[in-house]
Amino acid sequence: MGNRKGWIFPTVLSLALVLAIAWGYNQYTFKNEYGIAMINNYQRLFSDTKKHIENVQVSLSKALVSESRDQNILLLSRIMNEAFFAQDKLAQLPLDQADIANTQKFLNQVADYSYKLIEDHLEGKKITSKQRETLFNLQNNSALFNRELASLQDEILNTQFSAKKLTSRQREKMDKANQQMYQTRMVNLEKQMAKNPELIYDGPYSDQVLNKKPLGLGTNKVTEAQAEKIARDFIGTKKVAKVTPFEAGENMSTAKIPAYTFSVVPENTPKEMAIYIAVSRTGGKVIWMANPRPVSKVNISVNQAEKKAIKFLEEKGYADMEANYSLRNDGAILFNFALKQENTTIYPDLVKVKVALDNGEIVGFDASTYLVNHHDRNIPEPQITEQKARESIRLEFDIESIRLAVIPKGAGEVLCYEFKGKYKGSDYIIYINASNGKEEQILQLIKNENGTLTL
Amino acid sequence: MPKGKPSVFFIFCIKFKFLEKIRRKTFERRIHLKKTLLVLSIASIVFLSIFTFYTPNNTFLEATKEYDYYQSPQVLYWGTTGQDVKNVQWKLRNWKYYSGNVDGVYGANTYRAVRRFQRKNGLTVDGVVGPSTASAMGLKLTEAKTATAVAPTAGINRKNDAYLLAKLIHAEARGEPYIGKVAVGATVLNRVRSPKFPNTVAGVVYQPRAFTAVDDGQMNLSPAKDSIKAANDCLNGWDPTYGCLYYWNPATATSRWIWSRKVILKKGKHWFGL
Repeated sequence: MGNRKGWIFPTVLSLALVLAIAWGYNQYTFKNEYGIAMINNYQRLFSDTKKHIENVQVSLSKALVSESRDQNILLLSRIMNEAFFAQDKLAQLPLDQADIANTQKFLNQVADYSYKLIEDHLEGKKITSKQRETLFNLQNNSALFNRELASLQDEILNTQFSAKKLTSRQREKMDKANQQMYQTRMVNLEKQMAKNPELIYDGPYSDQVLNKKPLGLGTNKVTEAQAEKIARDFIGTKKVAKVTPFEAGENMSTAKIPAYTFSVVPENTPKEMAIYIAVSRTGGKVIWMANPRPVSKVNISVNQAEKKAIKFLEEKGYADMEANYSLRNDGAILFNFALKQENTTIYPDLVKVKVALDNGEIVGFDASTYLVNHHDRNIPEPQITEQKARESIRLEFDIESIRLAVIPKGAGEVLCYEFKGKYKGSDYIIYINASNGKEEQILQLIKNENGTLTL
Repeated sequence: MPKGKPSVFFIFCIKFKFLEKIRRKTFERRIHLKKTLLVLSIASIVFLSIFTFYTPNNTFLEATKEYDYYQSPQVLYWGTTGQDVKNVQWKLRNWKYYSGNVDGVYGANTYRAVRRFQRKNGLTVDGVVGPSTASAMGLKLTEAKTATAVAPTAGINRKNDAYLLAKLIHAEARGEPYIGKVAVGATVLNRVRSPKFPNTVAGVVYQPRAFTAVDDGQMNLSPAKDSIKAANDCLNGWDPTYGCLYYWNPATATSRWIWSRKVILKKGKHWFGL
């Protein structure tokens, strides 16, 4: 009786075994396929990075030789492109960021610097001897980079760097492999790159712009107790129940604006609804304030909100501010205020104010840009007339308003005529330099139901 | 003596019966065991064969679901207002999930009601009325307003960046206070501005080995409302880190290198530095 059914159990078991093996094999092939796809991608990125650097190097050498302005512009734009590509692809390789930071910076600055030189060329300026020297240095560095990459490539080809080292289970092995190849090479390179002198030029990635010191803070030092009082006064002493300072790190003084940060709990509110506020260590200015409370009902209009914001700014000592753009998010509206001085809008002096649309309370304030840029300016008289500036704009551009404005440019500022208008149905702002009639910048406005976005 | 014999026999009989009983019991149990084994192995075969021969494409589906979630603004969540919310509240009230007023404001009560509804109907319980929940309610949400966008600006918006940032914030700083969330987002944007890092939000977020939450896939969770709000605040320029590029958890940080960073600020469980 038992014997007759005896075959069922072993059969079932062996079937299960066969299926398990099939499943396992399937998984194994999947894993290999993914691994190969990934390693192919990395190989491609690596080879591409190398190719782009080669192109940078070659174009830099050519630019050093060339005397023709037109040729130089073409070469420089090529350098810019290739350097950006190289940077982009380098960042996608599985390397520790710490080991490629300076290399990336180098590539970004090469691109940025080329752009700056293109601008100079277009303005008719010749390359100065100093710039030539810088280019020569850059060329040297890219050569160094290329050499390291070339030997790395040889190593990779020799050792058959494989996908298996990149799975997380073999992280240790991978780290070892990395240390041996990518990492050591890159660390060497990184050390070289870190020795580079600062590049002095006007671009968004230049050290000059990155290390800009705030101008609008004043000089007097503020203690934490004084800062707390400033914070309390800013929010309104009556409402405050408890103020807790955030712990600052040892190197707070190296931050862009060294500050004290507090979390302020108003009366009759839970701890999670704290208001955050920052007060600068020099000058004792409120840098930003944020009240992340939810807003559920909309009771007031945008105009009413704007009036509240203006009143608030006046109370806090920001007179002559003018709202330019607004953006609506989650029941609150954010206004961008810029300083208005003698009929000139000064965009670098920017303050943002967020108003809750339920009761008009100010739920956000950010003066960091203002504090970095604000100083007493002597606005120069425009050298050209509005009429003259108008001539540098294409005829079909339908102008809605014209005014004078100071806009940031690199590390400095320029006085411009601001032309707001429409072209073929979309909105633009065009800035014409008020001293030479040059087109400085074009902004495109993107309007939707929530507000305006400038690009 | 003969007196005792039958008693011994009797005892023997009893013993035998008893043994027989036990034997039978174990035999039955063995059959029972066999049956369970049989059922178990059949189940495992079915399970394994599903695994082996059926490749689910739900990863793709999930991705599209997320894509829909942020590409179409007709998603209702905590804080949204309007006619669509009213419709949802009306439906939920009729079905006794919701007991508050039909006021068109997506608040705590609506949120809980939606979650109850989703649980009952086998939907993803996230308290967000997306296309699937809406269709389960028999509602159609109003289409996004696209008419305002003219050709040269069509499709240009910050939604993608905001959503990506929100996902990262959610994955990296879920349990943190609000300011900690914004701080994490702000470090990402500071990196975008720094020449030492990639120049786009996606480039920074997906840089290999930059964020653990990206490497281990937590990044693909749906972000909570708070994280989306924090992401928007970051993009609007609020930087509570004063320009920091790194943050780490001093309790769990494994990289020795990170300790060489300059510490600027300590918030929640994270340290922020340059």
